[in-house]
Amino acid sequence: MTHTWDFATIIQNWQVLWVGLKGTVLIFLVTVVLGLAGGLLVGIARYARSRFLNWPAMAFVEVFRNTPVLVQIIWFYYAFPILTGIEVNPFLAAVLGISLNTMAFSAEIYRAGIQSIDPGQWEAGKAIGMTYNQTLRRIILPVAIKRVLPALTNRGIEVFKMSTLASVVAYVETLNQAKLIADLNFNPIEAYTAVALIFFVVLYPVVQGTYVLERILKKGD
Amino acid sequence: MVEWNFLAVFSDFDLLMIGLSNTLKVTALALLFGVPLGLVFAVMRLSTTRPLSMAAAFIIEFFRTTPPLVQLFWFFFALPILIDVRMTPFIAAIVTFSIQSSAFFAEIFRGGIQSIDKGQWEGAKAIGMNYRQSLQRVILPQAVKRMIPAFMERSIELLKTTTLVSTVAYADLMFQANDLAQKTFRPLEVYTVVAVMYFLLIFVFSQLSIAVERRLAQSGESTVR
Repeated sequence: MTHTWDFATIIQNWQVLWVGLKGTVLIFLVTVVLGLAGGLLVGIARYARSRFLNWPAMAFVEVFRNTPVLVQIIWFYYAFPILTGIEVNPFLAAVLGISLNTMAFSAEIYRAGIQSIDPGQWEAGKAIGMTYNQTLRRIILPVAIKRVLPALTNRGIEVFKMSTLASVVAYVETLNQAKLIADLNFNPIEAYTAVALIFFVVLYPVVQGTYVLERILKKGD
Repeated sequence: MVEWNFLAVFSDFDLLMIGLSNTLKVTALALLFGVPLGLVFAVMRLSTTRPLSMAAAFIIEFFRTTPPLVQLFWFFFALPILIDVRMTPFIAAIVTFSIQSSAFFAEIFRGGIQSIDKGQWEGAKAIGMNYRQSLQRVILPQAVKRMIPAFMERSIELLKTTTLVSTVAYADLMFQANDLAQKTFRPLEVYTVVAVMYFLLIFVFSQLSIAVERRLAQSGESTVR
């Protein structure tokens, strides 16, 4: 069986994909910002000596790291509204699922970064009269975050790929739009190939950039 | 206030258990095919024959940079048009997750192999081993031990990723949950129970991998990530 590739219908429908791509970028930006910023707070709480901060942070991280993202998104879409009475649209469900998951993963990255800093730095901060918060903010975090930058960019790449899961609750993003094109034009092969290529074209340079970043940081350390 | 009612969930609990066993089946089969394939890709990528290493690099990067859900849809909806096969959700799932995880396993293998001191290759060569023999008898046995933590982490990721098969109607735990939620009109209880089931399953594996990692650290092996 030979198949003749025909991307004409895809090109005709580029606007449909364009809408999807915008949806993908929107959800990516929201979840990556919430996930990485929230993760920093959770990571700091996880590192704190106080049990009231440490234990809830640990429980949060374990729960969200040890359950699949899809389960989280579906739970927020179908179960969360019943529990709280809050109306949840596809966008909110996907944002909650993906950003909480990203918070948990990035929290562990930040924590590892903070732990990797020599204790002498903390002592030096204390010696010149800085409080815990000041030392953390002015001395520890700038170095720690620089060290974990490659791991954080990897997380960002994962988040971009994860955004496709939002299609499961019918949020309008690239994969969802490709499904639409495939159903209307009976061309799943071109539609899904196009999506795969879009993701590859977007992410490949980013991945290569991460390698470069890793090399530069290794040299600097 | 919400009234929790787990009765409906637990009276049909065997449905979820079928899903759970299917989830484990897909994970195990994807590992069975994905790990050897990953080794093949890694050896190809490390090869000095340029076309071979470039082909492997392309495959690895492609499957690492495209979302697994897109790959699954491609193998399920698109591949049967390209080649004349009868695609079932089960086959699509196995094919997708084997290849997808093999791309990640390949990078773990490569990292492990590259972490071995060059002297080991030279030593093997000095006693008359060829490339294949050195790899098999000297390099891999050492590299594999270093790869175990990264390998286990990837396997856990794979277990979590298998939830995607529910979107092409394979009866894994997630799919059975959707089914049961619709039947019982109890999405809150069903999805909560399923989330707890996934949590317990994955948590056990995570703890196990942490224990193994500690044990390896004791025996003086640095870990490759």
